[in-house]
Amino acid sequence: MPPGVGWWQTLGNLIMTLLIFQFVTGFALAMYYSPSPEAAHASVRHITYDVTLGSFIRGLHAWGSSVIVFVVALHTMRVFFWGSYKKPREVTWLAGVVIFQIVLGFSFTGYLLPWDQRAYWATVVGTRIAATVPLIGHQLLVFIRGGEEVGALTLTRFFSFHVMLLPASLMAFMLAHLFLVRKHHIAGPVEPQKGPPVPFYPNQLFKDAIVLLVGVGLLIYLAIAFPPALEAVANPTGTDFSPRPEWYFLGLYELLKIMPPGWEVVAAVIIPTTVTIGMILLPWLDRSRSRHPAKRQWVIFSGIAVILLIGLMTLKGILETPPEHKAASTEAVAGKQTP
Amino acid sequence: MDRNMSHEETNPDSIQISRRKMMGVVVGVINLGLIASVVGPVIGFAAAPLGQKRKQQWIALMDEKLIGPGEVKEVTYSLKIVDGYHEVEQMYTVYLRRGTDDVICIDPTCTHLGCRVKYQTEHHKFVCPCHGGVFDDEGNNKSGPPPKPLERHPVKIEGGKVWISRDV
Repeated sequence: MPPGVGWWQTLGNLIMTLLIFQFVTGFALAMYYSPSPEAAHASVRHITYDVTLGSFIRGLHAWGSSVIVFVVALHTMRVFFWGSYKKPREVTWLAGVVIFQIVLGFSFTGYLLPWDQRAYWATVVGTRIAATVPLIGHQLLVFIRGGEEVGALTLTRFFSFHVMLLPASLMAFMLAHLFLVRKHHIAGPVEPQKGPPVPFYPNQLFKDAIVLLVGVGLLIYLAIAFPPALEAVANPTGTDFSPRPEWYFLGLYELLKIMPPGWEVVAAVIIPTTVTIGMILLPWLDRSRSRHPAKRQWVIFSGIAVILLIGLMTLKGILETPPEHKAASTEAVAGKQTP
Repeated sequence: MDRNMSHEETNPDSIQISRRKMMGVVVGVINLGLIASVVGPVIGFAAAPLGQKRKQQWIALMDEKLIGPGEVKEVTYSLKIVDGYHEVEQMYTVYLRRGTDDVICIDPTCTHLGCRVKYQTEHHKFVCPCHGGVFDDEGNNKSGPPPKPLERHPVKIEGGKVWISRDV
């Protein structure tokens, strides 16, 4: 490995380890889980409150998804600011972008499985986003839900994606990503440093191990200190529930709030798609030879703009108290336009 | 072509080269056929719900006398529906509003992204808890992101009862 490689390059290993944790805990959860509207909630309740270590295993899995999204974001930003996606590592970056999407797909499909109020309503809203796509929106919605409404077939569909298609795709892209990292080696600092190459073992692996200890330690702490909750069983009639998505979709949620009527397709589809396409094309958009941030300013500025947009929207969503009916009514009385 | 150049030295017969190429093409076609033979039916299978037909059904909701002029009532009713592989008794909620001479039935599904709006009697407004959409007591969108009024179900009054029609 080139000199100058260090702590920042440990995140990939952490992601892989956390994904293996997800695979193992997911495999265990599937032994007790049943994907049907009658049984899903009861089976998750059974896992959480009856099965030995059930709350812990489910906690690892549920918190694991959050921690992975967070670390994947960090890892992506590291590669972005270091310009490590540049030739010859374009395809490595591409595989990484696909892995990012797969991870989000896992979160979205996994969220429904407990079949509680939170899961149900987040999915009603989340899938409804598909309906904002022009022309084929409705067909897309029915295809994703397996019908007009979120129901038994949505649950089996999401389960099937969550435990079959997504893990298989993840495996393929992760192998490709790893193979390419091995083939092209780690990129190293933005400007080559002088000195002899650093051996992976034991120097880097030791740093990796420390980061794994901290990362997995944090995950275990979260799973024990904040055990996973289970709300009331999904109730399609309820007009008393305020759905809120997981924190990493809050940015999108807030964006949807500020869009004027009829413009939801911009927030729901156009902006996320543009950011994704931008990420896919990044190695070919950024043609500068140097990886130094100062020498590729417009790319860095656009990147920071996107990160700020997502960050601020997410922060806004976190800070804002859940819009309870009471709060909403004061706004309604004042005739105030909701932001 | 370049790939075949080396073979040309050992075997100058051009027919051999095209035979080799031919076999390659056949292998490719067979592979494509194999992929299509599983992916095609699977897509058709997965997309089956798109062919689902829904039909209108009239449902008796409640006694006509139970709703007075200017009143808005939240009514929950149950309906036997086919949910994928089974028939279930599904509960639904609608709002009935009696005007001066007619009754309208407002669906609480927010036209923005499908959350359920809640009626606030004291303010005569429907408010969506998700993204803050506000509708008046007839379901017309007043503020926030909803692009259009709340959907209405056809209503008839027959035999002293309020009936609504919906897709099942």
